[in-house]
Amino acid sequence: MNERTNLDIFTDSFLPLLHAGIAFTVPLTLISFALGLVLALLTALARLSDFYPIVWIARFYVWIIRGTPLLVQLFIIFYGLPSVGILIDAFPAAVIGFTLSVGAYGSEIIRAAIVSIPKGQWEAAFSLGETRLQALRRIILPQAARVSVPPLSNSFISLVKDTSLAATVTVTELFQKGQQITAAVYEPLLIYCEVALIYLIFCSILALLQRQLEIFFNRYYTA
Amino acid sequence: MIEVRELTKSFGDTPVLRGINLTLEQGQVLVLIGPSGSGKSTLLRCLNVLEMPTSGTVGIGKVRLEFRPNSKPRKADVLALRRQSGMVFQAYHLFPHFTALQNVMEGQITVRRKPKNEARTKALQLLAKVGLAERADSYPHQLSGGQQQRVGIARAMSTDPELLLFDEPTSALDPELVREVLRVIRELAEEGRTMIIVTHEMKFAREVADRIVLLDEGAIVEEGLPEQIFSQPREARTRQFLSLLMDQSTV
Repeated sequence: MNERTNLDIFTDSFLPLLHAGIAFTVPLTLISFALGLVLALLTALARLSDFYPIVWIARFYVWIIRGTPLLVQLFIIFYGLPSVGILIDAFPAAVIGFTLSVGAYGSEIIRAAIVSIPKGQWEAAFSLGETRLQALRRIILPQAARVSVPPLSNSFISLVKDTSLAATVTVTELFQKGQQITAAVYEPLLIYCEVALIYLIFCSILALLQRQLEIFFNRYYTA
Repeated sequence: MIEVRELTKSFGDTPVLRGINLTLEQGQVLVLIGPSGSGKSTLLRCLNVLEMPTSGTVGIGKVRLEFRPNSKPRKADVLALRRQSGMVFQAYHLFPHFTALQNVMEGQITVRRKPKNEARTKALQLLAKVGLAERADSYPHQLSGGQQQRVGIARAMSTDPELLLFDEPTSALDPELVREVLRVIRELAEEGRTMIIVTHEMKFAREVADRIVLLDEGAIVEEGLPEQIFSQPREARTRQFLSLLMDQSTV
């Protein structure tokens, strides 16, 4: 049996790790973030509504999700719910957990962004005769979107790394794959650094995307 | 025709307007003057229902709406009344993510449901009218304060309101930019637009107004022709207010 160098181990494991990242980590992140954003917007609007039952439902949801660990939530969804007859596969269970998380934290970001738009913008829209919904859609949300880009990018980048928690509910995403390879070759330092490197690559791409998005939204602010 | 009957407005327990009665014929210009805190802006904002009046009746054009304490009017009625007037704000409040042209198209498209090309044609005409045809594609931050306010005037006219409301339209402007905005408003007056203007520019008020109303502590103190108000004010309060302004302008 010939001795493999560290470099061999590194190059041999790179593609399987990258594959796990692209096949699971990336879709898990993208799907959860997309659904989470929709949920976040709806929750933010619910919080800003003047109909109290809706406000309270939104506050309750944010309270529960922010007040309990994401890891525990994932365990409840994947390991807990089957005992009341709700069986969800590992991947969709993870998507549900992450979506709820993005929805709760994101709703506070979006709510803050909406509230930060000067009252005069609402009034100008109203004075033209626009309804509340028209003012929101045409005037307020486009401006709030610009304000939300940096904090939502934070959430997005956090989510990429949080998806490693899906390993605990049997999704063979990037980190889980790293554990499997480590068990086989027993080079934890090397393999986990490699795993970290791939997360870093993913997050760097997102940071570049954020930069582009900010340039796009700033087109009407800086000459 | 504009008719305001027994209009009151309180913020909590603080009365701001105490029974205002006003009528204004079509094509007339009314200038509201008065010390700060007298309720001028609140009155204007009540006509546009940016503030909900506590009680009283507002009629503009064909729409009349009665307000009662402790009962909210229907949203559709509020919208209908609001669409009778256009508002020009002290701080312009242009939509920063829209170009000048888009600012003037917005209400036409969302409120008047006009096709885009029609709205664009009309918006360009309105911008030309305020002397900004060549700045149609500029964003608000690329325009001077005077230019922004002229876009604001074009925007207020874009939905063809019966009545134009101006809430201290030149108070946020550098002195050298005031004139270009007043010139536009004066032209509108000459065209026979029905307007209510809150302003501290007394010389302008005297030139442009068909009628002057002096408001103090939420009530009308004196009302009359510009000549009469400025030359022979009947009320002591009016004389006091005007002489205070004269003092300031000589400082």
